[in-house]
Amino acid sequence: MKLFRNKILLLPAFVFLALPFYGFMTAIVQSLGNEEPLSHYWDLLDSDRFLASIAFSIRTAGIATILSIAIGLLLIRSFYKILVQLSPRLRVWIPMLFPHFVWGYMVILLLGESGIFSQIAVVSGWMESQADFPIWTRDRYGIGIIITYVWKEVPLVILLLLPVYSSIRPEYYALVDTLGGNGWNRFTTVELPHLLPVLVESFLIIFSFSLTAYEVPALIGTTFPEMISVLGYEWFYGSSWDDRPLAFASMVSISIFLLILTIIGYTFLNRTRLKAMRGGK
Amino acid sequence: MKRKISYLLLVFLLLSACSQASTSERDWTKPSWDEITSEAEGTEVRLYMWGGDEGINQYIDEWVTPRMKENHGLTLERVPMDTPEILQKLQTEKQAGKQEGTIDLIWINGENFKNAKENGLLMGSFTHTLPNFTDYYDTNSPAFQTDFGTAVDGMEAPWGKVQFVFHYDSDKIEDPPASFEELHAWIHNNPGKFTYPRAEDFTGNAFLRHILYAQAGEPEDIYGQPLEEERIAETAQHTWTYLNDITGDLWRSGEHYPNSLTELDRLYSQGEVWMTMGYNESRAESLIEEGVFPESTRSFVMEPGSIGNTHFLSIPFNSQNRPGALTAINEMLSPEAQLAKFKPKYWGENTPISFEKLSEEMRKQFKTVERGKSVLPPEKLEKSFLPESEAAYVELMREQWFNEVVQK
Amino acid sequence: MRSRKISFSIIACVFFVFPMILLLLQSVSSPWRFQSEDGFTWQWTSYQKLLQDPMLWEATLTSIVIGYAVLVINFIIGLFTGKALVSSPYKGKAWVEAILLSPILLPVLAIAMGLHLLMIRIGLADTLIGVILLHLVPTVPYSIKIFYNGYNQTGPAMMEQSNILGAGFWTQIFTVELPLLRPAIRSLTFLTIVISLSQYAITAIIGGGRILTLPLVFFPYMENANTSLMAAFSIWFAVIPVTMYIVIELLILLLPYSRLPWRNHR
Repeated sequence: MKLFRNKILLLPAFVFLALPFYGFMTAIVQSLGNEEPLSHYWDLLDSDRFLASIAFSIRTAGIATILSIAIGLLLIRSFYKILVQLSPRLRVWIPMLFPHFVWGYMVILLLGESGIFSQIAVVSGWMESQADFPIWTRDRYGIGIIITYVWKEVPLVILLLLPVYSSIRPEYYALVDTLGGNGWNRFTTVELPHLLPVLVESFLIIFSFSLTAYEVPALIGTTFPEMISVLGYEWFYGSSWDDRPLAFASMVSISIFLLILTIIGYTFLNRTRLKAMRGGK
Repeated sequence: MKRKISYLLLVFLLLSACSQASTSERDWTKPSWDEITSEAEGTEVRLYMWGGDEGINQYIDEWVTPRMKENHGLTLERVPMDTPEILQKLQTEKQAGKQEGTIDLIWINGENFKNAKENGLLMGSFTHTLPNFTDYYDTNSPAFQTDFGTAVDGMEAPWGKVQFVFHYDSDKIEDPPASFEELHAWIHNNPGKFTYPRAEDFTGNAFLRHILYAQAGEPEDIYGQPLEEERIAETAQHTWTYLNDITGDLWRSGEHYPNSLTELDRLYSQGEVWMTMGYNESRAESLIEEGVFPESTRSFVMEPGSIGNTHFLSIPFNSQNRPGALTAINEMLSPEAQLAKFKPKYWGENTPISFEKLSEEMRKQFKTVERGKSVLPPEKLEKSFLPESEAAYVELMREQWFNEVVQK
Repeated sequence: MRSRKISFSIIACVFFVFPMILLLLQSVSSPWRFQSEDGFTWQWTSYQKLLQDPMLWEATLTSIVIGYAVLVINFIIGLFTGKALVSSPYKGKAWVEAILLSPILLPVLAIAMGLHLLMIRIGLADTLIGVILLHLVPTVPYSIKIFYNGYNQTGPAMMEQSNILGAGFWTQIFTVELPLLRPAIRSLTFLTIVISLSQYAITAIIGGGRILTLPLVFFPYMENANTSLMAAFSIWFAVIPVTMYIVIELLILLLPYSRLPWRNHR
């Protein structure tokens, strides 16, 4: 009876899943086109523009994700006791109030070559002209994109990790301390096992978002190299419609890449979980 | 029994006649104009258009919309969307066989018109039904017959006429360049103070075509002939050489090109670059008025000339309110609406209307409009006017610019 | 602890509070050009301009309606799924979790374009319902996640206990689970509303311009050279979710065992 009810409870979620999966399947069908199958995918592999974009996207999204998680983890470890209070937590969450593209706009306002920082640097006599200010937005290294994403995702990481930290019982720490463990031991033996699933998930969520979201790179990215989402959008909405299947093919390729990454992540998690269970018994 | 069937048929016919009138199936270019306007009364028309210029948006919201309401009881709803996205939407709706669309009116020209026409995304020929078009416009003018080399066939009605100009800050630059060679030299002498929007952008692409015109023996070699890549190979090569040559001295050494004209305008307003550009010879006026551009902004054109074109209004294939759309277009083409558009307060762009067809009074009003200090005198603009080339050149520039200039 | 508090305050102010203050200041000043000594010049016109725009109000209302609808659906799906996942220790649960998470791992643009044809065919394109459904895609996985974590922390013991004491399904949810899940509800509210408010591309595609939300108005302005107006608009983007959040926070107070200010004596 109870099991049956549990299945019923899962029903809404699976009805919902029909939406994205149907959409994704249609995208796959569109990417195949009418001619010989996979021809669009071969076109992609021939396109220098696509390959350069893929490399740049993975690099940029990867750096943004790792930085977000590292900084978020550092902040939460250092200030956990403060962050459980409402008002400090709200302060940290301020960037989450704003949509990504609004935050990107803020980054330009602040760090652009004629932004507030460069103006202050010149007026205060620190730099001679605004031309001396380093190029941090719309730059070829993706610095602006990374800054925007890290700034926006660190609060998300804190949001995702905070419940985990509050679930760790203080007794565990006491145990490590009595056994003579140091701070590092505390982290690896107490926190990490709790954190691991959430960390893997946070990585996947942030990585796939920053890899495929359009708005921020469109605003703060440069002409070349470009993020894959911008290229896909260009192929999709550009006025030469022959490129449309290419847009679908590039998005499907990215999706498949992300799915593989997800499977690897979850296999890894499942294994450590099993190990922990066996070890426990 | 037979009787019953014929009754039924009659009822069915009546029903279908009623329903037909309310859907988009009916040919709205046939009935009289009075019938069209009375049908349009009390309805809603959705105008989808590019929304990146505040002056233009205000013209629609503050002048056109209230007037539609007053004169025709029409509710005009402006929806900001980029034109390629609008066409994409129509294209998808066509694929899905959706006959009841949401778009009644689009602002379009050039390559987008070509795409829309070729893919059957437009309602069809309608301009001959518009009284204001036949009364006040030179319907045979070549500017209305073809649009970037594509035959118009009455499928879009001329709404405005613009000419490409460059803007500069007269406090910083005394003598703007007079030709593209001089521009080349100016860029080298003022590194980092010039850039242009990327080729996907409407304005950026026009800048590239200006270079192409300048590199050809005569501009007419480009706009006068259909695109044959072999024929213009040498000109194209000169164009890429010119562009690669200036790249190092562009803003940010050409590592980043503005994504849109608005971005370039922002750079200009912040003094990062000293020139901006754009279709519409008077567009700086409202920006100066708003304090975005410096007061000292002036415009200039260069040898061999500046490209001008006409932009149009059209109706999509699945508009649900065709009478409303026709009424709205007719109103937007009226001398009064054109005059308000011509005044620098909102938009300030030129009108495609024929002055000789206007009343004395109206003509005088047009003549007395002060277009502002940043606008070049009409004689100067007329002298440098160059027509658009075929839409295929736009595509060529867009496709090759990335390989020839950016990736180099 | 004290020094830690100070360093936290510094970090929080510099990285999280300061940018918002900056946006606020810019929104009530003319665009800054410090070199030409155009510093802070007070003006109010950017807000006047913004708030006079009828489109802004229409878009704000639409965004709020969509936001709340998305929130309610998220709440229901998230609650049920979280509950089901936590109380059934079956094999391969990690895979079910992964599948439930997968919608946010796929490019949402691809999903939206794929769904557009379907939405047109079943008459949901260009409607509020269609947009709400699409906004579920990037939000529901988070909600499931949040509720699952929430239930995990509560632990099955709490639920078993109320079960033993004879509480029915709904009684259990309202008297035991929801009060304990308050932090989860807060996170969910916050995330769902902000994510829904951030969707430009998919709203444009499925809403077809008929469903006008705030990003649809904001995006065309984005490169606008008038930084003051843009700053004011940016602030508006934060005001909406905060207001919506406060409403939910008030509703949470109605849950049993909430520390109501007027009931604050035990």
